[in-house]
Amino acid sequence: MSSRKDQNAAARMVRDQIAKEQRRKRTMWISIAAVSALVIAGLIGWGIYAGSKTTDYTAPRGANAAGNGIVTGSGPVVVDEYVDYLCPHCKSFHDEAAASIAQLAADGKITLVTHPVAYLDGASTNRYSTRSSAAAGCAAEYGKFTEFSDVLFDNQPAEGGAGPTDDDLIVLGRQAGLGDDFAQCVRDKRFLTWTNHVSEEAGRAGVTGTPTVLVNGKPTQASAAQIAAAVAAAGGATPSAS
Amino acid sequence: MDERTGWSRAQPWVSLLVRLGLAGIFLVAGGLKVTDLAANGRAVNAYQIMSYDAAMVVGAIQPFVEIVVGLLLLVGLATRLAAWLSAGMMVAFIAGISSAWARGLNIDCGCFSKGGQLPPGVTPNYLPEIFRDVAFLAMAIFLIIYPVSRFSLDARLDRPFSAGLPADDDVLEEESESSEHTAPRRERA
Repeated sequence: MSSRKDQNAAARMVRDQIAKEQRRKRTMWISIAAVSALVIAGLIGWGIYAGSKTTDYTAPRGANAAGNGIVTGSGPVVVDEYVDYLCPHCKSFHDEAAASIAQLAADGKITLVTHPVAYLDGASTNRYSTRSSAAAGCAAEYGKFTEFSDVLFDNQPAEGGAGPTDDDLIVLGRQAGLGDDFAQCVRDKRFLTWTNHVSEEAGRAGVTGTPTVLVNGKPTQASAAQIAAAVAAAGGATPSAS
Repeated sequence: MDERTGWSRAQPWVSLLVRLGLAGIFLVAGGLKVTDLAANGRAVNAYQIMSYDAAMVVGAIQPFVEIVVGLLLLVGLATRLAAWLSAGMMVAFIAGISSAWARGLNIDCGCFSKGGQLPPGVTPNYLPEIFRDVAFLAMAIFLIIYPVSRFSLDARLDRPFSAGLPADDDVLEEESESSEHTAPRRERA
């Protein structure tokens, strides 16, 4: 009787041992599967990033030497503005300050470099930021960058939905005085890679949001008054009383 | 005694709640970022902890890792491992936000948004962000200590092997033993 009990106990111990071993193995395989899933997910992210990296681009006419912005004017003080055509604050900045900034450029006080970055592609359903920036490249190519930018901000879509399509952008281009060659350029998506380059260079320069304004490389609040004051300070002149 | 049994009964349900809560946090955080990897890279870059290129790579990988950890927690597979990973990420996030705060950076943490530089005049919310991540860290630590939860794939996988056929054996054995009117077997073993 007691020997049978011992047998039972021994059998139980062996079974427990086997169950333990099985559990250990199972935990190991589950862990390996989970880690593999993580590694694969990471590789997918890396692959998407590597695939989207800018390789070749052609800057449109009117771009600066670095090819990451469109130049207006040729004054001694350099004003860099980073804007996304979908960003609401960029529109209010544009509405408030564009005229006075254009005046500074026309007066020969500043060299304005506009960087039309595509930071907000996640905020439209059809990558409006990228497409509008590429179309602005086309507008620069045919000499109407400022005019086209004005039209884009005047017709800014709301965030979250679908922005104007390429066909809509061509119609907006006509309002800015652009013609068939511009339309062809937009359809060819000729400056899409340039837009990627502009955005990447802006990120590299530490621009994390829009609008960002630099006066001779110094971050300045995006308002007409602050920019005028910074330009006056950088140019060594006092702001005129008029 | 009652309290202990009460807790052992409640614990898998509490673990379930914590597990699903943490899963939701990671799935939402990852899902918001996965649609715009470049934007997330810029948010990482805004911390100025690594080079721009490294930040872009981390920014591209992170949302996918968050989603996988979220899915593991959601189905309850490799729960303890997923909890360790969650805790590790939370520690990294807390360290990143603290370091940005210490260096006087004026950034959005980018935890559930695009992140980046805040416009002038907007003050960052570092303290609430850190408190929130500490709460998430506590949830992860709870799961490391109590990984067993209801409705988990881990438990489902455990059953057919160790608790299926051998359990029937055990029942037979106990019956035969009790019919022998001997001392309880637990004391002998």
